[in-house]
Amino acid sequence: MPDLDRRDFLKLVGLGAGTATAAGCSDPIEKLVPYVVQPEEITPGIATVYASTCRECEAACGLHVSTREGRPIKLEGNPEHPINRGRLCARGQVGIGRTYHPDRYEGPRADGQATTWDDAEARLLAAVQANPGGTWVLGASRGPTIDGIIDAVVAGGGLGGRVVYQPFDGSALRAATEAVFGVAATPQFDLSGADLVLDFDSGFLDTGLSPVENAAQFAAARDIARHPDGGARLVTIGPRLTMTGSNAESWIPAAAGSEGALALALARAVASKRGVVDAALDAAIAKAPALSAAATAADVDLASLEQLVDAIAHAHAVVALPPNPAAAGTNAVAANAAVLLLNAVAGSVGSGVKIPRGPDPRAAAPYAEVQALVDAMNAGQVSVLIVHDANPQYSLPSASGFSAALEKVGLVASLASLVDETSVEAALVLPDHTPLESWGDAEPRAGVRSLVQPTIRPLHDTRAIGDVFLVLGRGLGVSVPSGTTRDIVAANWGGGASFRAALVRGGSFSESSAGHASVETGAAGAIGAASQFSGSGDYTLIAYPHSYLGDGSGAALPWMQEIPDPVTKLSWRSWAEISKTTAERLGVKFGDVVRIDTGNGAIEAPVYPRGGIRDDAVAVAIGQGHTVGHYASMAGDGSPGVARGANVAALLPAATDEGGGRAWLATRASLTKSGAFQRVALSQWFDNQRGRGLARQVSLLALAGGHDDDHEGPHVIEQPFERANDAAPGDPYRWGLTIDNDRCTGCSACIAACYVENNVPIVGETNAIKHREMNWIRIERYIGDGDTEGGEERRPHPDREVLGGEVDVRFAAMLCQHCGSAPCESVCPVIATYHTPDGLNAMIYNRCVGTRYCANNCVYKVRRFNYFDYGYDNWPGLLSLMLNPDVTVRGQGVMEKCSFCVQRIQLARQPAKDEGRDIRDGEIVTACQQSCPTDAITFGNTRDAKAAVNTRVDERRSYYSLHMLNTRPGITYLAQVKRVSEESHS
Amino acid sequence: MTPPPPATAVADMAQSSPAFQDSKINRDILNPTRYVSLPWLGLLLLAVLGVGQAVFSLGYQTYVGLGVAGYQAPVFWAVYIITFVFWIGIGHAGTLISAILFLFRAKWRNAINRGAEAMTVFAVLTAALFPLIHIGRLWKFYFLIPYPNQRGLWVNFKSPLLWDVFAINTYMTISIVFFYVGLIPDIAVARDRSTGLKRVIYAILCLGWQGTSGQWKAHTRTVLHLSGLATPLVLSVHSVVSWDFAMSIIPGWHATIFAPYFVAGAIFGGFAMVLTVMIPSRRIFGLEAYITDYHFENMSRFILFTSWIVGYAYGMEYFIAWYSGVEAEQTSFFLRAFGPYWVSTWIMISANCIFPQLLWFKKLRTHVPTLFVLSVIINIGMWFERYVIIITSTSRDFIPGAWGLYIPSPVELSILAGSFCWFAMFFLLFIKFFPIIAITEVKELAIHEKYGGAH
Amino acid sequence: MNQTTRRYCAVVLAACAVGAAAVLIPSLGDAAGGGHAEEPQATRGPTLVAASVCEAQRLKARKADDSRLSIEIPKEFDKPWPSLSACESHDAAWDEDADGPMQPIPFSHAHHAGEFEIDCQYCHSATDRSRAAGMPSVEVCMGCHQMFPAEYDELEGIRILKQYWAEKQPIAWQQIHRLPEHVKFRHNRHIQAGVDCQQCHGPVEEIDKMHMVPDTKWWFYGLPTAKLEMGWCIECHRDNNQQATQDCVTCHH
Repeated sequence: MPDLDRRDFLKLVGLGAGTATAAGCSDPIEKLVPYVVQPEEITPGIATVYASTCRECEAACGLHVSTREGRPIKLEGNPEHPINRGRLCARGQVGIGRTYHPDRYEGPRADGQATTWDDAEARLLAAVQANPGGTWVLGASRGPTIDGIIDAVVAGGGLGGRVVYQPFDGSALRAATEAVFGVAATPQFDLSGADLVLDFDSGFLDTGLSPVENAAQFAAARDIARHPDGGARLVTIGPRLTMTGSNAESWIPAAAGSEGALALALARAVASKRGVVDAALDAAIAKAPALSAAATAADVDLASLEQLVDAIAHAHAVVALPPNPAAAGTNAVAANAAVLLLNAVAGSVGSGVKIPRGPDPRAAAPYAEVQALVDAMNAGQVSVLIVHDANPQYSLPSASGFSAALEKVGLVASLASLVDETSVEAALVLPDHTPLESWGDAEPRAGVRSLVQPTIRPLHDTRAIGDVFLVLGRGLGVSVPSGTTRDIVAANWGGGASFRAALVRGGSFSESSAGHASVETGAAGAIGAASQFSGSGDYTLIAYPHSYLGDGSGAALPWMQEIPDPVTKLSWRSWAEISKTTAERLGVKFGDVVRIDTGNGAIEAPVYPRGGIRDDAVAVAIGQGHTVGHYASMAGDGSPGVARGANVAALLPAATDEGGGRAWLATRASLTKSGAFQRVALSQWFDNQRGRGLARQVSLLALAGGHDDDHEGPHVIEQPFERANDAAPGDPYRWGLTIDNDRCTGCSACIAACYVENNVPIVGETNAIKHREMNWIRIERYIGDGDTEGGEERRPHPDREVLGGEVDVRFAAMLCQHCGSAPCESVCPVIATYHTPDGLNAMIYNRCVGTRYCANNCVYKVRRFNYFDYGYDNWPGLLSLMLNPDVTVRGQGVMEKCSFCVQRIQLARQPAKDEGRDIRDGEIVTACQQSCPTDAITFGNTRDAKAAVNTRVDERRSYYSLHMLNTRPGITYLAQVKRVSEESHS
Repeated sequence: MTPPPPATAVADMAQSSPAFQDSKINRDILNPTRYVSLPWLGLLLLAVLGVGQAVFSLGYQTYVGLGVAGYQAPVFWAVYIITFVFWIGIGHAGTLISAILFLFRAKWRNAINRGAEAMTVFAVLTAALFPLIHIGRLWKFYFLIPYPNQRGLWVNFKSPLLWDVFAINTYMTISIVFFYVGLIPDIAVARDRSTGLKRVIYAILCLGWQGTSGQWKAHTRTVLHLSGLATPLVLSVHSVVSWDFAMSIIPGWHATIFAPYFVAGAIFGGFAMVLTVMIPSRRIFGLEAYITDYHFENMSRFILFTSWIVGYAYGMEYFIAWYSGVEAEQTSFFLRAFGPYWVSTWIMISANCIFPQLLWFKKLRTHVPTLFVLSVIINIGMWFERYVIIITSTSRDFIPGAWGLYIPSPVELSILAGSFCWFAMFFLLFIKFFPIIAITEVKELAIHEKYGGAH
Repeated sequence: MNQTTRRYCAVVLAACAVGAAAVLIPSLGDAAGGGHAEEPQATRGPTLVAASVCEAQRLKARKADDSRLSIEIPKEFDKPWPSLSACESHDAAWDEDADGPMQPIPFSHAHHAGEFEIDCQYCHSATDRSRAAGMPSVEVCMGCHQMFPAEYDELEGIRILKQYWAEKQPIAWQQIHRLPEHVKFRHNRHIQAGVDCQQCHGPVEEIDKMHMVPDTKWWFYGLPTAKLEMGWCIECHRDNNQQATQDCVTCHH
């Protein structure tokens, strides 16, 4: 972009507005640069799709990468992939940003200076040759092929060894499975058949083992169309109401770390009700605490547990999900084992809980091994440390002494592709390709092999990690296979036809019949330990994984920073969740900064008082507090290096569980008011819908046509009008959306998808604080039906959660309703927004002058205004390469909003017109719909009676948002179903 | 209303010969245009500086983007629209005085109508800037004007904002013409009493006025007709402006009472502004002989009266909100009085309804300093009225999940201050170069006094 | 609005171009090997010797016109190609004074699309399938040109092309018909609807050096709208007895 481009020029002359016309001749001449040799599969202007695999977390979902002119511009789920079945989570959607990220290393660096690959690799080789035994490799698993290469080099070259490091090593669950079932593997949980799901703080909907897969299963298990009784009930057990917990019917607010004891007591109580034939199982649960004792230990009321026991006893298919790594303490193995035993007692092993036949192929090392390596480094026994796919400097607890140990290492070589805390410490940086540029594969579970293939030529002078190790291996005289990583991948996939088939399909998927296993006799040995807490404070420090930032790797992606956290609706910073009681005790309000001290260190964070957390706990999300990175740092949109929020991992002790796994939940903390106040980007101030029926609920009784006593509002919500009418009489289409709030889990995948598809800019923290986010779709979170209280506060924040008992959290996706009689259309003085013949509420950016009258008059407040020139300023570096060429980049001073992905509608028109037919149902899939893991969103032509958008409308639940204003929306909501029934009442 | 008591000064003149009296009035009134007084120069300098800094702010805002203003969703309209409505309102008193009172032959208007008309013109000139300052793409302002263009696109005649475009332009044209026509005979007087370049300029401006009976006939008829044209504008313009809100759907805006409510408020605030500008200028230029307490008292009566109308409107808004039974309306109005913006609401109510009650006392109606303070208070109150209507309504509308707060930014405040300086600049230049009182009309009055007195 | 200004600029430029042409046509004649001025002497003057194949072709042409002309064509230049038209169009396409920007290669549409009637979509192959017409890759050019005999290398354009191909470098053409970023024009729709390329691109098959051929439509209220302006598109969409859509969002999304 030239210094003074046409836009700026116009702005300048706009001051003397009369002369704005002088801009005519200043259009820059563009160049057309065609291919030298045009690949036959590529046609300019038409997307080419490649199948690949998402590397944002270990779940390894299948991808369809759609590329334009050789540039990936959108990631979508691979429908053939058994893990995600065509869906994708928020993290997966924005993973595309890594490739174009401004933080990327543009080439190898040695001692902070750019260098050549030959030089860099020569240095590495020399250092390794000097002392092979003192060379260690530290990093996450990269899938069978690349792991194979690395292991071959490590073994053949006589290197010191390799430690597979993942901050959330699933070792506790693995150890528990081995203890209980004799297989050191991660069980596979299948909720699709369940009618009662017990969530022991597993976070299975956002941060669990396989969120997309489990969310889809969960939605299927609750599908009101197939389960008139409401299907699966969800009971969440844990100290804090998580996003997963928000979808539960009831919440048992057990003290942190007490889940294990609770699960065991439940198992025993249920067993005594049902009677268990398995002797080993009996033995295992024999010395379980009594229910009452467990209730005391967990600080929950006995009645709720007894009800739960009844529920489990009467349920047909119970699935209990073990705590996620961050939610389990020093007794993690025992806790996981207890949950597995509960499953065994409930008889769901083999159906709901599948135990793999063999152990996990390349499991992450338990934390103890990492600590051992750190100690070795401290002892000066490590001369070369090769770090890849991990950021230990950030994610290891400061108590581990890693950063000090790093000083003692002769040569630290980092293979990071984006700059991170570890790579800046490294003397040698050999940047890796990003997943979209590299070859590889993944095997999330036995039988599911997923292929990673490049979809763009490497943008920078980077080299695949596999090739680096191959070069190293050959240098060390190891007999590694010939060729590059690609050749080896091809060979591992059988080469030739089968490889090509895998490339097309995205992998080879043959679900092994992982299934039943019987309880080992020694299972009892695993259980019984109680959780130990270090530190002296009054509060248990819950360091929970952020829904989007994961172990912190997500913090580099601006979308993950800007999309508000599903539970708190906070973004761009760390915050400390404390209970309202605690807040009163400390004399702090929302935004006041508190100091959290654990003895291992202290951080400061603004508080977020809520009802959804125990009084004896303080919760901080893991993932913030980076000191490098264009988006990960830069607090307050300042300069890089200024940490954004705080890194809670630094506060934790280097504690381990019985199996040597890392114990995240292992310390208490003391809170002190610092007196400072921090303005935080809170995108939703009120969770009280004041009885306006924005997010409605219908009781099962009402659905059954019975009398709805405990819930005001009509059973069958009346249809004030027919949305299909609101388009040109002759037109075959009236586009509409049907959103099933009962399936919505609040995961925000739709928001991320919309950001990427529609070139929606990131506004940054300072503007997010002013509610200037540009997201076209937002998920509003309300508690209950609400009343007319509140709204007077000077410093407002959501405040209607209650601790424990019945959970009534309502998620409602809010986006442009494409009203049949839209308030925004009539007031626009220049007709920049108008109603199209096919019933869209169109927005013509280049006609808009920015009076913002439409935004005032929009009753749904879904219109977004470009306060600055986001179009040019907010795609730094190469990020502008990922802009969708089918969507206009909005300039300064214009209004924008959800367009129902009109570019996809226009695209679908082409074949239809060529073949002289109407667009078929399902030909158009909006970005949000495509991504939604639970299939809550359906787009289609409301004038087609057989279209899914109509057939999915359930008259008993359907309603329009604010229909009393007669805006005649094109979006039909299906009310959430209230499944609370006596057994889950408390 | 009590019949006008013979203004003492006028009575004196009545004794002397027409010629002398003529020249005395001329001298008194044209006095300010003779020399440059230091206070005047100082004020002008301040005004120009104020305008300068506002222009700088506007340039900054246009180049960097509207984000430099304090907008926070869901508040998309703020200080610029508030100030726009404020200045449009100010203008109305002038038109009322010069047109309606003219038609009603209310003689007490003669001394103040020139100043009021000037104020109208300058207020409208100020107001007309704000829609442009407000829009996001200033350099595309011409999209708002309906003219045949190669794009084949037209504007949306359904949009109240477009009605504004028409209303403002009409109002501006009429006010300027009316003002100028009334000025012609006085410019002629100024011409006769000036020399050199000034004389030439005045000569051009007065269109060769000779004061022949034919010219007088034409002049009177023109003024009569123009008053006829201007009269409906007093009601229509601010009604249209009020529809910007009334035609909208936001709770707190969507009210049928808005048109009369706004018009009354406009006249209320307008009269206050007349006092605010006339009191000092009368003092500075020693025109006590012509602008007497009698004028101020009558204006005070008007202010008191319109204050009650405004107060009624406030009350009625709350009643309807409660009576409608619409939760959103009730919430909006409850939070207006007791929510985050309670301060501005109570400023509005006390300044517009409570303080004006002082005018029940004749002593205060004729006590100039009090009137001046009161008029300033009322101006502030009227600005806050618009602040309350716009900000509180948008910040607490239908979607609680999207509620937000708004705080003005420095840029907005500097442009707001600039608008007052802009207005003051015009007014200062006006009183320097033109008679602030309608000489001819005062003479008319004087002659009436002389021969047969009042009728 | 700035559209109108651009129209004025265009007019001015066109005027300059015409003036320049008027001055330069004679000199063009010279460049073409002997203008009319030489005609009389040529009849008895010295024998004209060709120094290149192209020159030979031109001399042959003139000889054909008047037989009295005595020309001598050395053996090495007595070749059938590059043909006269090839030489002419090659030079014309690089005529600095003609309309349109100078392209990296003197490619003549008149020669390829006009004389040899190569279908537009042979090179712009995506036109009927995609939004973008698509520019031919170097490979497409070489597809024909590497079969040509070496003599063609006399033409600089051919040499440049082959150099690009040898270096595997893409050719950066200057864009001529450009729509703003907020206009999403679809070539395929218009081709499917049977719109001729010429309707928007002008008589390409007659143009050596590609440039935008001005065109103006008039609104009923007498306002002109120039080529590739919005009104110009709309006019066509209206005339087309409502066959074509006039929905804004079709092009602006």
